[in-house]
Amino acid sequence: MLKKLDSFRYLIPISYKKGMRIEGLIYADDELIQQIEKDQTKEQVANVATLPGLVGRSLAMPDAHQGYGFCIGGVAAADLQEGVVSAGGVGFDINCGVRLLASPLEEKDMQGKIEPLLNQLFRDIPCGTGRKGLLDVTKNELDNVLREGAQWAVAHGYGHDEDLARIEEYGTIPDADPALVSSKAKDRGHHQLGTLGSGNHFLEIQRVAVVYDEDVAHRFGVHKGQIVVLIHSGSRGLGHQVCTDYLDIMYEGMKKYGISVVDRQLACVPIQSEEGQNYVKAMAAAANFAFCNRQMMTHWVREAFERVVGTRDVRIVYDVCHNIAKREEHEVDGSRRTVLVHRKGATRALPKGHPLLPRELQDVGQPVLIPGSMGTASYILVGTEQAMKETFGSSCHGAGRAKSRTQAKKETTAEQLLRDLKSKGIFVRGETKSGLTEEKPDAYKDVSRVVDVVHGAGIARKVAKLVPLAVMKG
Amino acid sequence: MLAPASRSSVWFCMNEPFRILDHPADLGVEANGSTLAEAFQHAAKGLMTVILDLDSVACREAREVVLRASDREQLLVKWLSEILYLYDGGGFVGKEFTITQLSDTALQAQVHGERFDAAKHRTRLDVKAITYHQLAVTLHKQGATVRVYLDM
Repeated sequence: MLKKLDSFRYLIPISYKKGMRIEGLIYADDELIQQIEKDQTKEQVANVATLPGLVGRSLAMPDAHQGYGFCIGGVAAADLQEGVVSAGGVGFDINCGVRLLASPLEEKDMQGKIEPLLNQLFRDIPCGTGRKGLLDVTKNELDNVLREGAQWAVAHGYGHDEDLARIEEYGTIPDADPALVSSKAKDRGHHQLGTLGSGNHFLEIQRVAVVYDEDVAHRFGVHKGQIVVLIHSGSRGLGHQVCTDYLDIMYEGMKKYGISVVDRQLACVPIQSEEGQNYVKAMAAAANFAFCNRQMMTHWVREAFERVVGTRDVRIVYDVCHNIAKREEHEVDGSRRTVLVHRKGATRALPKGHPLLPRELQDVGQPVLIPGSMGTASYILVGTEQAMKETFGSSCHGAGRAKSRTQAKKETTAEQLLRDLKSKGIFVRGETKSGLTEEKPDAYKDVSRVVDVVHGAGIARKVAKLVPLAVMKG
Repeated sequence: MLAPASRSSVWFCMNEPFRILDHPADLGVEANGSTLAEAFQHAAKGLMTVILDLDSVACREAREVVLRASDREQLLVKWLSEILYLYDGGGFVGKEFTITQLSDTALQAQVHGERFDAAKHRTRLDVKAITYHQLAVTLHKQGATVRVYLDM
């Protein structure tokens, strides 16, 4: 049984399921918990709690929904010496993430230019299944991308040095080893660099509609009425293949290390084992691919702005990972420990003063970017001390699916959806009709409610609300 | 394009030997066959049907697939992962699948199709990977049924 702790927290006691080693905790209000209880999320949070060497609690953010092994919206930290790493705990789309770009323009400067800008972006940034990137890097050069991430992109003219401080890990996760990424993964990746992808990935032109915290918004370079661009994309086929490869390696490894799991998708190995270390280095390489990918798209966004509205002064507010495992220092049971934090559909949310933040964000905290579903609002939040105490410095990552793809398809045609969005003044370009209807706004939870839970629980604080003006879908 | 929704889990493939399954975030494929090999073949067709409209694809070339796995379940995931890899990594769209040898731990197959052509092929959805979530390989009197969920 779930135990309600307060308005925003539900505890899953260790007694809930045989084999649980730690408690589970779900962040939700009365309505979201009902949605969460409709699928297997609670069971998956409990299943994660059975893994060896985890510390603290197995967590689910308010946008949580059923995933594979781990739920989407799950956070779990493993002791670096005693714990395990799970490829499924990061997910297939390694470093799927969000990047927010701020333009110097306001909506009044964009009269009649939103649609041309969207069309330009749609021409310049490849999207949809099967589409190749504009740049087909050689396998040797791809290894450099995997090592250097966004730094590779900047060194090759896709952006500026100043961009890097505004990316989680400065756009490059160290320890990446391209030799541990299979040739299959590289085959899937080398022609997909600089592509948006499909599914729930998107690019939106948005307007800052509400500012909740003027001081913090100002420090992030954001103000009411401003035109911003949100990019949601990941490591494409390369990352998906890395996860596929290491699920099998970990499954075989479990026999060797005497580990059994309740769900094969939770396959895991000790972090310090050869297989565990290899995965961490391959995952870092895939994460760097995603950082590079979003950096290249940023360059094309700047070019599109220059062509359509005459400025390329588009700055990065921040870039966050949603699917990642990170080696971080946290306070656990009163002592400082190094842990590997799995965030699967969750965002890092560091408070001010955290050593991992760049100098210019030291006295304000990390921007936490929460995209809504297509046609609804997105949010900027800021990391808090409370998140460090409770969630290993983590927060939610989006609205979270509420309806299946089949259900979404049955309820709406692409034409009707386009009409609805148009009636709200939102322009849409999508590669396929299937992709559009499956991502219709009410296929997701109410992002505002999700964000209110995060804010209410204190694991991130609201800064600004963004509303879409134009959407590009793969 | 949408099939009449007489069964909630079926879309755009009413007359096929597979059906598309619902999942809160993603999709699954369930395929039947008079033999396990046939069920594997149908599952591959189901996978590619999620990604694109196979009516827009011709069989002009073939690829050989040879795989080993530790059990039947892993073999199914590896088989479908290979078909996905041929498409996403090799730009080759598989349409017809012929398994020539199959045991619990090994598979050999011919995949017929053609190179991906964005101008010609009607694409649908991106499949990221094949998962082990609620994976099932069942042998029964009528033959075999396999079930697999896809990460979208």
